[in-house]
This record gives sequence, structure tokens and C-alpha cells, in this order.
Amino acid sequence: MTKELDKIILRYKGKPGMLLGVIEEAQKLNPHKYLTKEVLEYIAKQTKVPVSKIYNIITFYAFFNLKPQGKHSIIVCRGTACHTRGSKNLLDFLIRYFGLNNGIEGQQSSLTTQDKKFTIKTVACFGQCALAPVVEVDGNIYSRVTEEKLKKIIKELLKKRK
Amino acid sequence: MEKINIKINGREYKVSSELTILEACQEIGIDIPTLCYLKDLKSEAACSICLVEVKGAKALMRSCVTPVNKGMEVYTNTERVRIARRVNLELLLAGHPKDCLVCDRSDTCELRKISFDLGIREARFPKVSKVELPLDTTSVSIVRDPNKCILCGRCVSVCSSVQSVKAIDFTGRGKNSKITTFFDEGLSNSVCVNCGQCVMVCPTGAITEQNETEGVWKALSCPDKFVITEVAPAVRAAIGEEFGLTAGTLVTSKLVEALRKVGFAKVFDTQFSADLTIMEEGYELISRIKNKGVLPMITSCSPGWIKFAEHFFPGILAHISTCKSPQQMFGAVAKTYYAKKYNIDPRKIVVVSIMPCTAKKFEAKRPEMKSAFNYWKNELKLENKDEFPDVDYVLTTREAARMIREAGINFASLKGEDFDEPLGISTGAAVIFGATGGVMEAALRTAYEVLTGKELEKLDFVSLRGLQGIKTAEIDIEGLKLKVAIASSLSNARKLLEEVESCKSPYAFIEIMTCPGGCLGGGGQPFSLNEETKQKRMEAIYQEDKNKALRKSHQNPAVKALYKDFLKEPLGEKSHYLLHTHYAKRKETPYGTEKA
Repeated sequence: MTKELDKIILRYKGKPGMLLGVIEEAQKLNPHKYLTKEVLEYIAKQTKVPVSKIYNIITFYAFFNLKPQGKHSIIVCRGTACHTRGSKNLLDFLIRYFGLNNGIEGQQSSLTTQDKKFTIKTVACFGQCALAPVVEVDGNIYSRVTEEKLKKIIKELLKKRK
Repeated sequence: MEKINIKINGREYKVSSELTILEACQEIGIDIPTLCYLKDLKSEAACSICLVEVKGAKALMRSCVTPVNKGMEVYTNTERVRIARRVNLELLLAGHPKDCLVCDRSDTCELRKISFDLGIREARFPKVSKVELPLDTTSVSIVRDPNKCILCGRCVSVCSSVQSVKAIDFTGRGKNSKITTFFDEGLSNSVCVNCGQCVMVCPTGAITEQNETEGVWKALSCPDKFVITEVAPAVRAAIGEEFGLTAGTLVTSKLVEALRKVGFAKVFDTQFSADLTIMEEGYELISRIKNKGVLPMITSCSPGWIKFAEHFFPGILAHISTCKSPQQMFGAVAKTYYAKKYNIDPRKIVVVSIMPCTAKKFEAKRPEMKSAFNYWKNELKLENKDEFPDVDYVLTTREAARMIREAGINFASLKGEDFDEPLGISTGAAVIFGATGGVMEAALRTAYEVLTGKELEKLDFVSLRGLQGIKTAEIDIEGLKLKVAIASSLSNARKLLEEVESCKSPYAFIEIMTCPGGCLGGGGQPFSLNEETKQKRMEAIYQEDKNKALRKSHQNPAVKALYKDFLKEPLGEKSHYLLHTHYAKRKETPYGTEKA
């Protein structure tokens, strides 16, 4: 692990904003797409950035995960435009659909199903307000999403796995 | 420095062009309310209370980050300004608990004061978040209550810029923002050095010291215990402020009387053990110089600095004097020499130290600080379960004041009494431990006479005094030229330490104090953000030194008796056992020289 991290750090060394790039790639290295304490401590040591600062950065960006992520990610936009077009209902639907505990908009930033197949997250805005409500699934943006549409997308994903 | 003309509230003023509007206003006697601004630190402009109206600007400006400009017209007291300040403050209050009656900062809270000053008489907005965040009680020195935090960022600034520790930072975003340590693991699991400077600058009760007064009251009410106290030098120059006396009022004798009335069996002086420290540390310096030991030698009295070195400069630990701090020397001596001399069971002695410091709480709990227990172990057939620390409780100046108030003592009207003997006898050299440069000066007074065998006539080393962050001097001891340096605040210390680390340090002796100004500006002192307060406390300390009949540590008769009857000689076997310690590398964490 440290060898791969060293390579990443070397590549970004001296470049402005290097830390974000390093952390992003470090997250990709993990099979469950999240950052562990040990990895962050190692990055801190090698980049000479205090751990408090690193924690500041990774908790600021919704992109960084501190918990193991499911195989598929579903990100519901909770910006104003999407909210007015019912994104809260979509979120509630997903939570019901997967039988998860409520609480995604409190201190929890993401919820993952017990079988680690799906992670549900929210984001403040995708910048695609004209297409509201917007949901991102595994990196693809879906526009004017409804519960029916979501059900279909999830079924497709599960089918693909077989 | 260019002077420019600006208009404030319709009047013409000439001010320095380098000031912000807020600073310019302060200079001409207009107080602009602020909860995040700190002098000399980069403002985060977080609280948005300091709004002013600038002619020609569309929006109201934050005066703490807006520089003055030629011909600028500023209004600090318009309807628009007043309403905006109020609304912003009310929004801050919406998220803040309203339990001021039972808050630690009840009478010193800046948020409460500003709310009062701005005429807020009702809590208009309801609390948004209903989530109660857990307190960080992991540290033995400092407690953090994120529920009371208004995210002004002062603690983050001080920890990073003044102390260069960076134990805490903002985390999360929006309404989930809070200030915390790496992975929320708590201060005790971070590089926090317990200096308490964050406590000093916090405008609310979000950061406070670990309250030990309950434990002390309990011990005092236990008839079986012999509860004694030791008072640090810087406390007497500041505790008067807690009782409405002006800064810099020396209240040594009043404090002694008050503590006796609180119920301590004996009121002793940490200055006694400061004199003892000078004997040990002075001889250690001489021995290092004579025997070509590790130089520069660095003082070891300030426990925040010790933990700082263990985290950030593990390679230079051999440079730090092995002497324990005066607080710990006192505990070790009280529970051995004093216990023996007066035939008191050391297990019954409770040592309560009163310190200007929060890091001292941590120091007293370091596992190696149990030399009295080890000393008695065989003689009294003690088992590990009987273990007792050298110092049992550490109170900050503020906590001591709280106890005096609770005991119903009218402090200002006390006539004053003297310290108890023998551990209450001290010299002027010990008083000045409370100010940056003091330990150095005290050590030199003794080292000079020991090295030359002559009497030192001019006792005041003025070049070592003052509130500057780094001071250097060359002291001539009969031809032996000794280069010395003094740093207060850890960011200043870091500069000297980097030289030591790279073997480029030109100095023989370095004094490091964790807090800006030394102990008089310690994290356990009465709340004040005023530089003048520190200046006044410093003057009081040097005045007390002048008032003392004896001003050199080696003249202290009680210390002489301690050596004659018990320790035998400085750096001797018993001294080594009771008065010296060791340091250990801690988890390494980068300080962060590169920009993220």
C-alpha cells in the first residue's frame, strides 16, 4: 500500500492543490473506495500536511468517504431546484426501498446497504438544475428522475451483476 | 508608515494606512463589537458582527478585514449597521445554548457581553439543529464543548499561528461544521500540548479547563488528609484581576491569607522550588559547559513546550535540561523531605498546586511523576495499589479564584499574611520565573557567582526582559562569553529549535516558554485579550523581585537547609532521583510546512 501511495505522492509533488489529487487517488486505491485513518496519517507524514488539516479537507468535500462504500453509488441532489421538484421524496423512497435507517441529512453523510451493494449519498448541487430532480448513479447523471425511473435503474444494475 | 485621512462618523482622522477599519476605530476610541478578531492574527472574518457602512460600497463591510483607504468615509453607528449586527448576532445565538447561569464563562463570556451591549433582549430565532454533540473530555487539561462553539475560529488561529501546533481545525461543512481533532479522536489523542491558549481566546464557554476544584474541596473536608498548596509566581501578579483589582496589582500576601481561609493546612510557594530548580539547572548548565556536554541546554519548566518537543522535535530531547519543573520538584520535596522532617505520613499529604497554566495538569499526571512514592516504597512497604502522585491536584489561577469566591472570602479587603516555612521561603530570582526571560536571568545570577566565585553586583539583566517573542543576548561571565536566547510562544520556539535540530544554533543556553509573554500570559490566567494586561503583570513580577531581600536562588536559606539536611548537593544522587526526569518521543505528526 505505502509503495503505491509513494508513487502517487511523487507524481503530485510540488504541484498546487496536490493534496486533493493525492487523497482522491488514495481513495481509488481502496477496494471499498474509502479513506482509512492509517492511509491519511501516511499521506500527512509524506506530504508534511498536519493531520488536522487533512481531516478538515476530507470532511469538507462530499466526494471523500470515511466509511466503506457499496459497489454502486446513488447520489441524490438536494439543491434548491431539485428539492422543489421532489428530491426529498426520492431520497426517502431509496431509504425505504433498501430498508435503511433514516438520518442521511443529519450528521450522517452517506448510508450503505448491509450487503454493501449500494451506497446512498446526497450532494448540495450538481449544477444541472434545469434537469431537476437529478440523481447520479455510478457516475452517470439521470435527469427528471421519478421513483419509477429509480426502480428501473436499480433493477438494471442488479441484472448487470448476474 | 504612511498616514492617511479618513472620515469616521463624520469626523476627520489621520490614521496609518496599514490598519483595517476596525483597528483604526480602536485607535480613535470607537469599539467595534467582534467575536473573531484577534490582534496580530489573520482575521477569518467569521462572525460578521463587526459590520460598518462605507460610503460608496453597496454592502456593509466587515471592518476586521477591510483596510482603510485614503478619503474613506466610514459609519459605525447607523440604523443599517445596528440592525445588521443584531440580526447576525441573533443568528449566532440561535445555535447557542442559553444556559449562561451555569456556564463556566458566565461572567467572562464575550458572546453574552456583546448580546447585552447590542441590546438583544429575546432569543428570536429557535435552535436549528437538535443534535447534541458529545463533549471532548479526553484531555486532562482542557474540555471542549462543541455545542457552545460559535465557529469564530480563534482557537484554530492561535493553535496554528501562535503555537504552530495545529491540533484542531474546522471539519465538516455548513451546519455540520465544527472544530475538532483528527478523526474526532479528542485532544488527548492529538498533538495538543495543553497550553490553553485556545481557552484564553475562546469568546464563549466552548473551551474550558478541566475543573479540579471539586476534588480539592473533597480533600479539604477529609480530616485524615494534610492538604497543602503551592502557588506559582505568575499567579500573584494576576489573580487580583479576578476580584476586580486592576491588572498588575501584586496580591501575594492577600492570596496567602485567602488560601489559608479556604482551608489549606499550609500555604507554600512554588518559588521555593523555583529556587531549587535554579540550583539544579544552574549546576547542570555549568556541568554541561565544563564537561563539553550537549549544548545548547534548553530550560524544562514549561510543560507545554516539553510535550511539543516530544511530538515535533524528538531529535533534540537531549538538549532539554533534565530538571523537573518547579511544580514537580515541589511535590517530590514535600512528600519526602518535608514529610520526614515533620513526621507526616506521605500518603496523607495532598499537594494542590495553583498555576497560571493548563498544561501543568497534564504534567502532574505524567506517569513518571511519582518519585515520592518510589522513594517511600521500600521503607513503608508500599504496593503498587498504594501509588500516589507527587502533585495531586492542579488548579489554574481561575479555579483558585473560584474556590476563594465559593468560600465567601472578600479578597480585596484581606490584610495579608506570609507564606508558611520552610517551603514558602523564596528569593527574587524565583519570582521572575513568571515572565519570559526570567528563568534565564535567575539561572545566570546563580551561574555567574558559582563560576566566578565573585559577587554579582548588577543583578538586572535588562536585555533579557520584555514581551518580545525572541530575545537574544551575549552574557560576559568574566571572559566566558555565553550566548543565550529566549523564546515565548511555540512558533517562536520553533525558529530556535530548527537551528538546534540542524546543529546551527549559536547559543549555549535557551529558555523556552510555551505561552506568549511567559507564564504571566498562561492559559490558566484570568481572561484578557489585552496586551497591556500582560505588560502590567510583568511589571508587578519585576517589582516583587526588587522588593525581595534575597534575589539569588543560591542564597535561599530554606534551599540551603534542604541540601544540607537531605539532598546533600546539586545534581547529587538524591537530586537525580527526586528532581530530575526524562523525556520520550511521542507519535510524530507533521507540522505542515507545505501548503495544502
